[in-house]
Amino acid sequence: MSSNLTAMIVTLIIWIGVFLYLLRLDRKVSRLEKNSKHA
Amino acid sequence: MFWKVVLLIWMSAVIAAAFLLPAPQSQLGPASRIFFFHVPVAWVAVLAFLLSFVFSIMYLKTRKLDYDAKASTSSRLGLLFVILATISGSIFAKSTWGSFWNWDPRETSIFILLLIYGAYFALRSAVESRERRAALSSAYAIMAFVAVPFLVFVVPRVYLSLHPTTSVIDVRLQMQMPPAILITFLASLLGFTFLFIWMFNLERRINILAARQKEV
Repeated sequence: MSSNLTAMIVTLIIWIGVFLYLLRLDRKVSRLEKNSKHA
Repeated sequence: MFWKVVLLIWMSAVIAAAFLLPAPQSQLGPASRIFFFHVPVAWVAVLAFLLSFVFSIMYLKTRKLDYDAKASTSSRLGLLFVILATISGSIFAKSTWGSFWNWDPRETSIFILLLIYGAYFALRSAVESRERRAALSSAYAIMAFVAVPFLVFVVPRVYLSLHPTTSVIDVRLQMQMPPAILITFLASLLGFTFLFIWMFNLERRINILAARQKEV
C-alpha cells in the first residue's frame, strides 16, 4: 500500500473519531438540556 | 442532524482529495499536502481570536456576562486551533527542513501567540469576581488581538523565513493554484469553519448547563 493511501486512511480514522466524539457529546448535551427544562 | 452528516461527508471528501490529488507544490513534494489542513486550521484560529475580540468589545459596551463567556469560548477554541497549526507546521518542518522546530520567524511568532493567549487564561483563572474577571480579560483580549495580524501576517513576511509565503496568494496578491487544488483548499476552509461553529455552539451550551447547575 502506498504511503499516501496509508496517510489518507489514518487521517480519515482520526476525523471520523473526532466527529463521533463531538456527535456523542452533542447528544449528551441535548439530553441534559431536555432534562433541565423538565426539572 | 442533516448538516452534521453533510460535514462528515464533506470533510471526508476533502481528506480523500488532499491525498489523491497531485501535491500542491511539486518542489516540496508530498509533505506539501499538509497545506490542505495547516492553512485552514490557522485560519480558524485567527477567526476565533477575531470573534473573541468582537465579543470582548461587546462585553465592555453592554456589561452582559454572556459576551464574556462567548469571548472566553472563542479564545479557548482559538488556542486549540493554534496548537493544531503548530503541530501540523512542525510535522511539515521536520519533513522539509529536517527538524521539528527551527525558531523560524513564523514559528517564533506562533509561539508568542500561544504565550499571549495562554496568559489570557492565566488571567481569567487568577481573578475570582465574575465582573472583574470579565472586565480585565475583555480588555486583555482586545489588546491581545492587536498583536494577531502583526504576528500572523506581518512578521513572517518582513523577516527572512523558511516558511513558504506564496502558498495561498503570490506577491501580486493573486491565487495561482490549479482549479482542483483551489477547490479542495476552499472546501477545507469551509469545512473547518463549520467544525469551529459546531464546537463553539457545543461549548456554549455546556457552559450554560454548567452555570445552571451551579445556580441549583
